[in-house]
Amino acid sequence: MQKGIENINKFTSIMLDVKNEALAQIVDAGNINELEELKIAYLGRNGKLTTLIKKIKDLSISEKKQAGGLINEVKNTILDALATQKNTLKESARDWFDASIPGKKPTIGHLHLITQAIREISSTFEKIGFVRVRYPEVEWDWYAFESLNIPRDHPARDDWETFFIDTPPHSKYGLMVLTPHTSSGQVREMMRVKKPPIRMLNIAKNYRRQSDVSHVPMFHQFEGLVIDEGISVAHLKGTLDYFARNFFGKDRKTRLRPHHFQFTEPSFEVDISCGVCKGNGCKLCKEGWLELGGAGMVHPNVLKNGKIDPNKYTGFAFGWGVERTFMMKAGLEIGDIRLLYSPDLKFLRQF
Amino acid sequence: MDIIVSDNWLKDYLKTTASPKALARSLSLSGPSVDKIERGSGDFLYHIEITTNRVDTAGIYGIAREAAAILPRFKIQAKLLPLRTKSKQSFARKVKYLDVKIDPKLCLRFAAVLIKNVKIKPSPDYIKERLMAVGERPINNIVDISNYIMHEIGQPVHTFDYDKIRGSKMILRASKKGEKLTTLDGKTHQLPGGDIVIEDGEGRLIDLAGIMGGQNSAVDSSTKNVLLFVQTYNPVNIRKTYMNLAQRTEAAVLFEKGLDTELVGLGIKRGIDLFVKLTGGKPENTVLDIYPKPYKARRVITTLTFFEKRLGIKLSKSEISKYLNLLGFETSWNGKKLETLVPSFRANDIFLAEDILEEVARLYGYHNLPSSLMTGAIPDPLVDAPFDFEDNIKNLLSGWGGVEAYTLSTVPESSVETGALKLKNPLGKESSFMRTSLMPSLIKALKENTGEKEPFHLFEIANAYLPRKNMLPDEKMILAGIFANTNYREAKGIIEALLEKLNADVKFVVEDGKVFSASKRSIIKSNNVKIGQLGVLEESSIYYEFDLGLLKKISLAITPYTTIPKYPAQIEDMTLVLPSKTRIGEVAAFIESAHKNLVKVELVTIYKDSHTFRLWYQHPEKTLNNKDVEIIRNKVVSGLREKFGARTKD
Repeated sequence: MQKGIENINKFTSIMLDVKNEALAQIVDAGNINELEELKIAYLGRNGKLTTLIKKIKDLSISEKKQAGGLINEVKNTILDALATQKNTLKESARDWFDASIPGKKPTIGHLHLITQAIREISSTFEKIGFVRVRYPEVEWDWYAFESLNIPRDHPARDDWETFFIDTPPHSKYGLMVLTPHTSSGQVREMMRVKKPPIRMLNIAKNYRRQSDVSHVPMFHQFEGLVIDEGISVAHLKGTLDYFARNFFGKDRKTRLRPHHFQFTEPSFEVDISCGVCKGNGCKLCKEGWLELGGAGMVHPNVLKNGKIDPNKYTGFAFGWGVERTFMMKAGLEIGDIRLLYSPDLKFLRQF
Repeated sequence: MDIIVSDNWLKDYLKTTASPKALARSLSLSGPSVDKIERGSGDFLYHIEITTNRVDTAGIYGIAREAAAILPRFKIQAKLLPLRTKSKQSFARKVKYLDVKIDPKLCLRFAAVLIKNVKIKPSPDYIKERLMAVGERPINNIVDISNYIMHEIGQPVHTFDYDKIRGSKMILRASKKGEKLTTLDGKTHQLPGGDIVIEDGEGRLIDLAGIMGGQNSAVDSSTKNVLLFVQTYNPVNIRKTYMNLAQRTEAAVLFEKGLDTELVGLGIKRGIDLFVKLTGGKPENTVLDIYPKPYKARRVITTLTFFEKRLGIKLSKSEISKYLNLLGFETSWNGKKLETLVPSFRANDIFLAEDILEEVARLYGYHNLPSSLMTGAIPDPLVDAPFDFEDNIKNLLSGWGGVEAYTLSTVPESSVETGALKLKNPLGKESSFMRTSLMPSLIKALKENTGEKEPFHLFEIANAYLPRKNMLPDEKMILAGIFANTNYREAKGIIEALLEKLNADVKFVVEDGKVFSASKRSIIKSNNVKIGQLGVLEESSIYYEFDLGLLKKISLAITPYTTIPKYPAQIEDMTLVLPSKTRIGEVAAFIESAHKNLVKVELVTIYKDSHTFRLWYQHPEKTLNNKDVEIIRNKVVSGLREKFGARTKD
């Protein structure tokens, strides 16, 4: 060890040696005890650094000032090295990694609720051989009504608040309308397929002249149409039960009640057992049942209009609202259904 | 239509042990749907939905008849107590007190009777209470009788002040266009023509038949003699008239559904009884009854096999007969063949074997029918179905942060091109045309989200309706989207990525377009056919759209396989200093096509006028060495200098 300090240069060089020596030993230290010993060895009362500090008295006043700065720096460096090595030892031999840091997300996109509903509905029916199709939204009166056994002046037309297009009527097909229901696709599908079997799933936009919290002038329906030899009411019930179990849940059932549609005979109103009270009756349902929509056995006149022989083939059809059906499943209570067609991001981003 | 049925009133004609709840439930399962039961004062009120084919149940008596048939199927005792009348009048085609001529196409049955010396006063309390229970306001005994009968049996009844019918004469005919008539609510109608009207002996129109009486023949406080008037009209004429005149009365709603002609006789007799009882009037001994074609029961033939096949169950002949008889049909079996006679009150509903089937099935109970999925062949899939393609695009765009919207297809006139389809009866001006583009809808959607400061991307797949002469419009499926607060390169990058994922080989060609800012629009072309566009709108949002049909055509459903290169690529960055206003797209395209071993180029960073590109050099048969790369690089650099005045920067 040096005996005396002649000048600042000498002092500096000695200090740096001490610092490097200390840092090397600190990094090599394998446990907390070793670090404590090193701390005493350098910074203790008789430590190497402390001893050196005592020697600056031999220096000139200006050199003393310079030396003081250096001492502080070396001392801090050693303290930092001791602390860092202590943390390193705590984390044993691993590299430091903070897994708790919040991630950086990509922008999250959203599919519309109706898209999600349509996907679920189509995949449920496609599994039992239904073929998804799409037919005109702007349609001739003949396909929307006349071919479905609903003549021009029939009061049943009041059930469809129909929008008409301002164009001259077609000599054969009549006025141009916005399809008020997916049933407009029935005769078109019969004409496309020509020879049964038919298992159609028509999902489309529909339009009706009404707008309030439970009606939007534009909405979606899905229509099932099955035509083949020997199709009976039992098959309609089977299909609806299949849908209820697979779409709504395995303990759900459907029920048919009498109704009337011009294009089906017999016609039914379809109920589904309430998912909340399990069919026992509650505030949300009517004695354990909720109304799903209409269905029926295809009227022979409709088959004839679709050029299908009603003596050979029979069929059934059902057509329900996509929005209503999906909300019944998801238990969503959207107070104003028109919100579905609003572009408000605060709404769209929820799904 | 919805009707209200009072339980007290119903019990005049229905004897049953059923509780109101059981009655409602049974009716709903096998007949008309009871929407709710309401408690009245000392009464229960059933709210019942009557479908258009079952106007025979649009009254207390009709519901009693239906309930009497249905309740026993639910093991509840029930019996119809028939409506009996006391009046002993005879019916004749001619009477002394009224000379009538009718058009039998417009009026299927015409009955009337003169009742003299009526006393107008309030009705007794039980009549008033019942009328109020079913939603009718009591006025005086004459008006109340009409309403009472209508609610009881579902047959509208009208009364004239007999002394106001000039010449005691009536001609029932179709109106001529432009004729005028003032109804008793004080409204004067200019008739569209083809309406059923009644003219008196002086040629005055005194009745808008089936809809509302004329003011000039109405009963008033000084009326002494009343003509009680019950008819069956042609439903089509009634419907046209009330729709044209927007005069939808309760009577019209019944008549338009086609009423039972046999009900006219019951209506007039019930009317006479009530007039005698409530007004003290003296009816004439003969009722005028013009009934050119009395009802003859329709015969419908079915077979046992038909029932079994359509319902998927076994049924006995006696069971089928029992159900039909309960509902008023006469039946006779001949082997497996069933002949059914349709009662008059079902004449407008039952025509076919299918209709008979419905009657049997609902009494058997739809809820009792079996349930099984159909067997048999599965149909062929739709050729070229677009659904998976659309779904794929929706998944990709939402995966990159897009938010899907559904906006309305109907838009204001300012949003469409000329010739667009116009609605005849829109709900308002804002929704009076079928859209020809999605752009106005998406711009509107964007404006409705102006509070949003973060970048966002809205997209939609929906039809545009392009008009065609004498044809349905061309419904073109469009993909469109709009970006707000978004950097142009980022927005364009999403579109490029989409096209890459769809394996669509396209070119972006810069070309100005309406509503887009100058120089900020590109047409997206494939083999010189425009399939879409992308550009910055005047309000600085970025809009794009594609004709989905065309896009699908040029997209490859399956990515083609290319052999994996055996030799690695040399990758290097090249920074170019370019003169201002150089189109970087052209520079990149130039580099990419400069040499066949330059397989990929990407723009990495831009700093002021320095543009750093990343270049991939690759040879299919060997590893390129530095010398090879240098040759290619030199060619690129000198080409860039010559064509764009570009300098390289180290």
